[in-house]
Amino acid sequence: MTTASLPRRAWPRTLALLALALSALSPLLVLLWRASARDWFWPTLVPGTLSLDAWRALLAPGAGLGGALGTSAGLAIACGVLACVIGLPVGRALSGLRGRGRHVGAALVFLPVAAPPVALGVGIQVLMIHLGLAGTAPGVLAAHLVPAVGYLALYFLGVFTSYDARVEEAARTLGAGRARTFWLVTVPIIRRPILEAVGLGFLVSWAQVPLTLLVGGGAVRTLPVELLAFIDAGQDQYAAAAAIVLTVPALAAVSLFVLAARRTSVVAV
Amino acid sequence: MTAAVTPGGPPALELQALDVPFGAAPAAAGLRGISLQIAPGERVAIVGPSGAGKTTLLRAIAGLTPTTGGVVRGDGADMTGAPPERRGCAYLHQSPVLFPHLDVFENIAFPLRVRRVSRQDVAARVASLLALLQLDGLGGRRTDAVSGGQRHRIALARALAADPRALLLDEPLAALDPTLRDDVRETLARLSGPGLPALLLVTHDFDDAALLADRVLVLLDGSIAQDDQPARLFARPATLAVARFLGIPNQLPAVVGGEHVHSAFGTVPLGVLANAEDAARMMASDRATERRLTLVAAADAVRLTPPGTGVDARVGAVRVRSARTTVLVEIDRASPDDEPVIVECAVERHGHPGVGARVGVSLDASRALVYPDR
Repeated sequence: MTTASLPRRAWPRTLALLALALSALSPLLVLLWRASARDWFWPTLVPGTLSLDAWRALLAPGAGLGGALGTSAGLAIACGVLACVIGLPVGRALSGLRGRGRHVGAALVFLPVAAPPVALGVGIQVLMIHLGLAGTAPGVLAAHLVPAVGYLALYFLGVFTSYDARVEEAARTLGAGRARTFWLVTVPIIRRPILEAVGLGFLVSWAQVPLTLLVGGGAVRTLPVELLAFIDAGQDQYAAAAAIVLTVPALAAVSLFVLAARRTSVVAV
Repeated sequence: MTAAVTPGGPPALELQALDVPFGAAPAAAGLRGISLQIAPGERVAIVGPSGAGKTTLLRAIAGLTPTTGGVVRGDGADMTGAPPERRGCAYLHQSPVLFPHLDVFENIAFPLRVRRVSRQDVAARVASLLALLQLDGLGGRRTDAVSGGQRHRIALARALAADPRALLLDEPLAALDPTLRDDVRETLARLSGPGLPALLLVTHDFDDAALLADRVLVLLDGSIAQDDQPARLFARPATLAVARFLGIPNQLPAVVGGEHVHSAFGTVPLGVLANAEDAARMMASDRATERRLTLVAAADAVRLTPPGTGVDARVGAVRVRSARTTVLVEIDRASPDDEPVIVECAVERHGHPGVGARVGVSLDASRALVYPDR
């Protein structure tokens, strides 16, 4: 009875998985196609001429997207690491609060995540102008950190809510001071959440457009900003190629973090 | 009440008038004026009802819970405000807390690594501790691949590796199955002798306290109600509250008049009671000729006798437990208006009178105690 009914039961799940895969991959496939097609106008269903011109132009050394790619990568890596450094203690502190204190604290941390990025960007832009950081990479990094820290603080709030802090008490009474307890006990135990958090912070910055535009003022050219410029200029082939360049490192970064997290032979919290 | 003075050298641990609040509760709800001395290598058990502050006291000594008054000394040095890592008091939680990212060897080596002990010395020390705690061959295991008893022993080995002046054990035998309990109890029993740390353990089990400790502290209502050797504590509770906490079943109203105590057991001379001196002092201080008291007797201080001897009574119930059997007997009332008096007495597991049987009851007055009602 079971063997006969299993395939029937599996159908909805298989269909759902196929739909999910299709929705995730189809835009990428269309992008790949568009990035390699010189002429592809409505209502034709297939491109007229295949061409790798856009790829050659964008990936040419000393020109194209190389600079933007470097800026985006630098900002995203710095944002991931710094947001983790700030978000971890904030999340830990929030997890130590009880009752209304925790709710208010979590709401405050959630504010930059919940606020519309454009509205948030206008406020940060004014602040950065006053600080003399508008139009600079450090200014853009600071702006990216605002939502990233919010995300990661909430992430670490969840991590430390289920974390058994007694391991730290044990370490302290065994002679380890606060710092050594943190590095020898806390960090190894939550290594996996830390790596995932860095990945999350990386992605928040990598895909950021409104804050980069508002605070960078066009002077800080990241990959998403270049992509928007291509779209604005009607260069669809270049835009599609840039979109793929934007997507691949993000997917690679996520894969790398997942792989690294799996290789850490520590107990996940 | 303060413990006996430590002979020679400073105590391993000394508390003077220590006040510890219970979390955010009002100060009055915490531990108040706790004074205590523990000699090097001495083993002390803390017993008390749930919520008495036993764990709080251990955590305060370890530096894990803030104190609001008093002094904590270790080997004579004031460590009241010192952080946990500078107190030399290894605290073991009720369930063993091992470091999940380290194997058994590295768990035990942790305190040595913290102190930057050389690699050879770490290997030698860990090997000796693995042998002492009967963990040979387990050094390379992950901590989630060892048994419950082994986890306890690993935690103990790790604590000993820190060379603490005191081991603070929070209910190490609670929530263990009987076999595991015996295993951990045996391990703890072995941890005494020259060079080993003082041991302060919290337990709910009086047998464990008596077996494992040289002294037992009774913590009631935020203060130490009695600090005594186990045999003396169980034979002579200091107050009626301690006697009640220890679960001594027979607590009867009594009247002291002249040199005698009158109760449902009849009249016995005051001078033969286990706490005759205390009772005499109490009567002398009151300058009273007659006073109402509570007479307390353990179940094995009350004997069943043949009908017609002792006090007449009837068996009301039989209680069979794993360790002993007792019967509840109702003493015959002198008049129907009297309150019923039911006493519990220990009997042999087999051959005791059944429910409804007429019996006599007599009290071993040398093991009975009297206390003021309040």
